[in-house]
Amino acid sequence: MTDHQQSAPLIEMRDVHKSFGSTAVLKGVSLSVRDGGVVCIIGPSGSGKSTILRCINGLMTIDKGTIRVGSFAVETLKSDKQLVPLRHQVAMVFQQYNLFPHRTVLQNLTMAPVQVLGENPAAVRERALALLAKVRLTGKQHAYPGELSGGQQQRVAIARALAMQPKVILFDEVTAALDPEMVSEVLNVIRDLAREGMTCVLVTHEMRFAQEVADEVFFTDRGVIVEHGPPATIFQNPTDPRLKAFLDKVL
Amino acid sequence: MNAELKLFALGTVGVTLVLAALLVTVYGAETGRVLQALAARTPLLLSGSPDFSRFEGGFAANIVISIWAMAIAAVAGTALGVGMISQSFLIRTPSVLVMNVLRNSPWLVVLYAMLYLLPFEIEAFGSVFSFSPMIKAIIGLALPVTANVAEVFRGGVEAVPTGQWESARSLGYRRLQILRRVVVPQAIQFMTPNLMTTYAMLFIGTSLVVVTGADDVLSVARTVIASDGAHYATAIYLYVLFLFFIFCFPIAILTRWLEQRVRVRQ
Repeated sequence: MTDHQQSAPLIEMRDVHKSFGSTAVLKGVSLSVRDGGVVCIIGPSGSGKSTILRCINGLMTIDKGTIRVGSFAVETLKSDKQLVPLRHQVAMVFQQYNLFPHRTVLQNLTMAPVQVLGENPAAVRERALALLAKVRLTGKQHAYPGELSGGQQQRVAIARALAMQPKVILFDEVTAALDPEMVSEVLNVIRDLAREGMTCVLVTHEMRFAQEVADEVFFTDRGVIVEHGPPATIFQNPTDPRLKAFLDKVL
Repeated sequence: MNAELKLFALGTVGVTLVLAALLVTVYGAETGRVLQALAARTPLLLSGSPDFSRFEGGFAANIVISIWAMAIAAVAGTALGVGMISQSFLIRTPSVLVMNVLRNSPWLVVLYAMLYLLPFEIEAFGSVFSFSPMIKAIIGLALPVTANVAEVFRGGVEAVPTGQWESARSLGYRRLQILRRVVVPQAIQFMTPNLMTTYAMLFIGTSLVVVTGADDVLSVARTVIASDGAHYATAIYLYVLFLFFIFCFPIAILTRWLEQRVRVRQ
């Protein structure tokens, strides 16, 4: 842990602003994530949490500020073509899974590495099967997403993200659309990844999980980061009144 | 499929009976002789030749024209549809404009325009291409249908949830790759029934190509009436109506069936 903390941050956002029309969603967000770090972003809905994730992988362009991911200056990458190398390193998992329904589970995993990264199909297939085993879905490779439960689909989505061999995975409220009994199977997979040293940025409403896996927690409200720190401090000794009020409501 | 099969049988028998009843009403005791005359002219009306030796005119020409026009419109309409959903203002605006001009042009006007816009022949790459009436008819029909196909394409693409675009982009896919690999394969089920309706409309529209001088079923019918006498006109036009119905009705039934299937799957 300690030598991780000394290394340069893998993701660094500085003073990021983003508006949709006249609505300012991010009003000067700064955060950094070290290599191998697990960061959770919590906060009320509409506070800009998901927008932060979409800015990190370039799904949304920003109005002001800088975002650095590894050696990429994200705000300077304009076209989809320029963004391909970044997306190779930063994978994302969505609340609604967003698997490709017309492809089998295995094809969902292998499509992008083969079609986008131009990797060898046989090698990708091998890797995909290993990843399915890792998310405990061996035997489901020929099923279509529509035949799986929500929890299974979300685990396929995580495996699909891993198939790109990314350095970072962004999780956007990945358990929010799941039935309660399926939440833990997905969280277990994420917990394994975090323990293995995968850099993870999670937007989540699962406070207990955030407390358990995160090494840093950011609390956002109305487009700014109000407070951040290790989970113990954030959850046990919050200083900001907005954070206190939020935790009173959700815990 | 069962309900549609029933509808198909009912419709086919029903419409045939209605047309037959009309024929009897008009010709009375003469109906038998008129039917014999129709039978004698059937090869000409269907194939443009008196003995089915060639299939270059008559109803066969309508089929050929509709297939070529649809093929051209499918390719051009897809390209136009891609242009209409482009992120670039410079591509999107002209595409939407072209689509609207084409879609709002009366087909008959476009066909007449073809007579004057297309030269009789052009010389290119050292050889001479001539624009036969048939080719003018195909191009003239393909133009407005291109606009319809482009609209169907756009509608189908928009029916696919935006989350698909987002997750494909986050996997590194670029816009055209997303269309080809992710969105269009899912949109095809929404597009197919609409494309079939478009084709049925186009097929009915092939009756207009008579103005280009193409040798279609209607121009053969007019020739037959001119030679056999105006007395047979009603019978021959009823017969042509019947031909169009028999060709288009199964398409309509199949379209309904596909629509139902898409609805069930969702």
